[in-house]
Amino acid sequence: MRKVEVGRPWEIPSCAVTPEAHYLRRREFLRLFGYGIAGTALLPATMRAASAGFPDSVNPSFKLEGVKLTSEDSITSYNNFYEWGFAKDQPQELSNKGWKTDPWALEIGGLCASPRKIGINELIKLVGGIERRNYRHRCVEAWSMVIPWDGFPLAKLIDLAQPNPEAKYVKFTSFLDPEQCPGQRSNDLPWPYTEGLTLREAMNELAFLATGLYGKPLRNQNGAPIRLVVPWKYGFKSAKSLVKIDFVSDRPKTTWNELAPNEYGFYANVNPNVDHPRWSQASERVIGGGFFSGKQPTLIFNGYEKQVAHLYAGMDLRKDF
Amino acid sequence: MNVLVKILAHKLFALTVLVGVGIWFLVIPAFTGRLGANPLEALLHESGEIAIWTLGAVLALSPLRVLFPNSRVVAALNRHRRAIGVTACIYGLLHFSFHVLYEGGWDGLVRSLSKPFIWFGAAGLTILVILATTSNQWSIRALGGKNWKLLHRLAYVAAGLLIYHQAIAGKGHWAITRWLLFPLAALQLARFAKTFSQKKRQDLSRRINKRTLVEMSSATASASRR
Repeated sequence: MRKVEVGRPWEIPSCAVTPEAHYLRRREFLRLFGYGIAGTALLPATMRAASAGFPDSVNPSFKLEGVKLTSEDSITSYNNFYEWGFAKDQPQELSNKGWKTDPWALEIGGLCASPRKIGINELIKLVGGIERRNYRHRCVEAWSMVIPWDGFPLAKLIDLAQPNPEAKYVKFTSFLDPEQCPGQRSNDLPWPYTEGLTLREAMNELAFLATGLYGKPLRNQNGAPIRLVVPWKYGFKSAKSLVKIDFVSDRPKTTWNELAPNEYGFYANVNPNVDHPRWSQASERVIGGGFFSGKQPTLIFNGYEKQVAHLYAGMDLRKDF
Repeated sequence: MNVLVKILAHKLFALTVLVGVGIWFLVIPAFTGRLGANPLEALLHESGEIAIWTLGAVLALSPLRVLFPNSRVVAALNRHRRAIGVTACIYGLLHFSFHVLYEGGWDGLVRSLSKPFIWFGAAGLTILVILATTSNQWSIRALGGKNWKLLHRLAYVAAGLLIYHQAIAGKGHWAITRWLLFPLAALQLARFAKTFSQKKRQDLSRRINKRTLVEMSSATASASRR
């Protein structure tokens, strides 16, 4: 009997997929092209936007002077990505056993004038290419990293989508693939993973969509091929492996908040003065610090107070945690 | 079978397993760089897990002895109850020292004491320390067998506290709770069910014996009257 392939809604048809031989020769093509005009720095913006086109240097506004970057090895081996299991080393092991994150389509929809379904490389071209930013990353479990992300500001995608005036929130939906994903076969969490921001938060210059880190495409365990990064909030807000971004009028349901609303707030802003009910948030363990490094004090809004505090003016951060 | 029972009953076997677990899960990973990106956290969690499973093992032994009174394997393992219990306490203390190191000093330690899951852990470990220090012949003699036994029933309280400590310590890690709490509870229930039904049967046969005795005596009485 012939096997009938039923595509998932986000899959692009196989006729649109670049034949593997062409795909495998893309670097060769780029190299030839690069030699032709003496170096990649001179490539036009659209070429730099391809997945091979990562920037050489950090955006100077987001350099985090004097802060030590977490090693690439740590960033790619210590992950909370419960789709692949609860242990920190499981995502690295289990998400690289044939899970395909390329090709991948992202659906942008909801209350906006310009909805679309788009491949990641095409999207990168449309928003004008990739930049690098060093961001602090603070997990709700009281550990932290500093990560050199490659990607683009979320605001650029929002400009592209042109949300309607009644859109007040942005909802992020991660992939759903229980066949591939051992974690999604259990009901410990309601799948797919969803997160949300207010539209004002999403428009903030810090809100970022990452497609790579350390100058390489995102590894599967880090949320390939595209993930949210909101560095002033606890890490669980930064949903991974996005398939959908919707503009909505009401506050969307978000995974951890649904599961335990008294422990994980919708805002989930990093705040050393508001403890998690079960553990302290006053300090954090820096990954890569060694046995005797102890913990360092956690900063309000994870050190991004200047950029984001105005978003919460007049709010009681103990109540709206 | 005889050889197996002999091995299982040997002190060296118990020592090898109890120390071996620590070497396998703590020492070897530490010296081969396999503790991951947050090595101290790995040691903290592993030592805690070893401690709670070891406690679970010792608590499983007495119901098993009641349920399988004729099993020589269970009998052999029961010889090591004291060693297993003391080992649980030692891994618990190791876990606590990793916690102190993880918090990185006095301030962090004091701050951690404001959280319920730390109270449960500390209370459970305190019980284990008391039980471990009284796990010797001298204490049994000093306290008297009955008191000593009563004191050591606290192991069940410690288990409850520590399973709860473990369950609320992290973000949605219910696996150990499930795989430890339910089997232990099931074993205890089975033990109680068995001792209860045995007691009932004993009571019944005692009553029957009594009745026959009474009947016999009345029969002899009437016979003698006649």
